[in-house]
Amino acid sequence: MFRVCIGGGGVQAARLLAPRSAVLVEAVRGRKSRSDPVAKSKAGRIKVPPPVDPVEMLVLKHRFSEYQLIMRALRLEFKEEMLRKKYEEETGSQAAERARQEAEEHRALMAWNNQENLRLLKIRMKRIQKEDEEAEAKKVDAALKREQELEEFIKEKEREILQLQEEAKSFITLENLDQRIEEALDNPKNYNFAIDKEGRVVKQTALQ
Amino acid sequence: VMHLKYHGGYVVIRLALAGHKQANRPFYRIVAAYNKRARDGKYIEQLGSYDPIPNIYNEKLVSFNFDRIKYWIGCGAHPSKPVAKLLGLAGFFPLHPMTITEAERRRAKMELTETATKTEELEQL
Repeated sequence: MFRVCIGGGGVQAARLLAPRSAVLVEAVRGRKSRSDPVAKSKAGRIKVPPPVDPVEMLVLKHRFSEYQLIMRALRLEFKEEMLRKKYEEETGSQAAERARQEAEEHRALMAWNNQENLRLLKIRMKRIQKEDEEAEAKKVDAALKREQELEEFIKEKEREILQLQEEAKSFITLENLDQRIEEALDNPKNYNFAIDKEGRVVKQTALQ
Repeated sequence: VMHLKYHGGYVVIRLALAGHKQANRPFYRIVAAYNKRARDGKYIEQLGSYDPIPNIYNEKLVSFNFDRIKYWIGCGAHPSKPVAKLLGLAGFFPLHPMTITEAERRRAKMELTETATKTEELEQL
């Protein structure tokens, strides 16, 4: 809202033009931007660099040249030391021995690894063998079972057939029809009976 | 890994604020970083620390990792002015000229004030 009212200055100008308190709460570094007007107290100010003492400047120049010389020499020395270290690291006296040791370690570890692999392979083969045998045994058992079941089934069916054959003897056919009707009419069967909770059956009824 | 490729950038050894977020209690780390990085931003390696506030025994503690500093200077790192001054005072670098000139200026001022107080006392008497 403020920014729309005051076009160019921004928030900083707002703080300058309309301070609510006597002392501004914030004194942020760089409050003024480039386009803000200079303060009245600094109207005719000409910025002047700090005064240089020529004697001191001469002494300083000499000291600085010395300092830079020593610094350059130090830099080159450190570079040389670094390169020497790197060179020794790669192709030094210890490097060949270390490489040999590492190669030996590598060989030993690879041999150990191969041993482990062989051992595990043997274990795996045994396990697979066992599993195959078990599967075969299971198959054989299953086949046996199936055969047994077939046999039982056949036996059941034969028993049923025999039973049916026996029952067939007492079936009512066209020839027996008249005989059986006369027999049924001559002997009336009474299916009525009474029973109580103790299980005493009473077959005497009102019907005949 | 976010690794910026700097075109024409160089490494500097400088002080970075350690970000303890306490007002009026700074603590600097001596750090090797790329020139364009923020002062407290991601650095390449920490090479030491500097505590500008004197402790209970009235000493300011500084630490350096000389081995790695040698490596970085050998790789072409530029030390900043305060780092160069600190290293000069430590003895690793030659003494920075500005430390000597500052000391001389302070001594001249002290002598001036001494002579001024002496003349004041004499005039009072």
